[in-house]
Amino acid sequence: MGKFAIFQFYALLRREVQEHRNLFIGAPAVVALLILVASIWVITRIDQQQLAEGLRYVSVVFDGLSPFDMAPFFMLLAIPFFLTLFICSVIYLINTLYQDRKEMSVLFWQSMPVSNLQTVISKIVAISVVAPIFYVLIIFAMYLVAMIWLTILGITHDVDLVGIGWMFLAAIVSLILTYLSAIVTSLWLLPTIGWLLLFSAFARKTPLLWSVGVFILVGFLEDFIFGTQYLGNWVASRTADPNQYLIFEFSSLFERIFDYDTLFGVLVGSILIAGAVFMRRFID
Amino acid sequence: MKNTVLRNRYTLLLTTLIVYMVVLVAEGVITDREVRRVEFENPYFDLNLNDLEEFRERRNNNSNTRREDGGDV
Repeated sequence: MGKFAIFQFYALLRREVQEHRNLFIGAPAVVALLILVASIWVITRIDQQQLAEGLRYVSVVFDGLSPFDMAPFFMLLAIPFFLTLFICSVIYLINTLYQDRKEMSVLFWQSMPVSNLQTVISKIVAISVVAPIFYVLIIFAMYLVAMIWLTILGITHDVDLVGIGWMFLAAIVSLILTYLSAIVTSLWLLPTIGWLLLFSAFARKTPLLWSVGVFILVGFLEDFIFGTQYLGNWVASRTADPNQYLIFEFSSLFERIFDYDTLFGVLVGSILIAGAVFMRRFID
Repeated sequence: MKNTVLRNRYTLLLTTLIVYMVVLVAEGVITDREVRRVEFENPYFDLNLNDLEEFRERRNNNSNTRREDGGDV
């Protein structure tokens, strides 16, 4: 890949971030703010003596424990961010190619030295690799504010926060695990990404309705034509259990990525993404 | 072939969906796919339904014992 191709791709990614600032930065920032406000509200309701006891407990519970062992507990705090990222991703993917055609910016981008493949790939990379970076940075900022706040509370309540350093390290390790989980989830859900992009490139109106409607129709058609229900089985086996794509230990990363089901999902996702790339040549 | 597939958006969508379905059904037939969830070892979110059942039975036993003792009716 030449220097120019890298610059082209960087420009495409930058365009995605600039055009969807609310989904990439605004939404997680609001979630972080809500969590901080809720925490402040809860702490102001707690009795001062109980608060001092709680701080003493928190200060010793992490002291000397390996951050790698304690990191998964901090990942629980990332659950609201995961849900937000999932909802924002669906909104982004179903609208992105549709919006390009609706506002006719597709004509401008097709006049530039950028292929349809590069454009579609940039959208997938933007939502599965770049967006989680913003989410993780905002969670980091939230942890930083929380740690400073804990320190101030410790000083005002005369509590020696011996384990706060260990706690912060565990929080940092959890951020890396959160980011890796987001990327593995994208690979795992690549067929969903491809499906949404295909209908975003296809539909003249209401792409979400098309994608849901055709999905149900294809399920019925499979039963009708082949007399089987492999599609339903396949979808059920991929969506039910978050343990299939969340990473709680670094050692399980390769096991998740090079799992047969993940790689088969990548193959199926690639078929749908190829459809979306070719579909971009049909402009209303 | 290429011209037929790329004739309009509908033929392209149909072709993509046919390829998608054929790949899924072929893989399903070859691997005899049923609803299966890959079990990874995960010490943090283990959910054993037998434990829940045991917990419910123990709770019922406790409430029955309390009733027999005349604790709460």
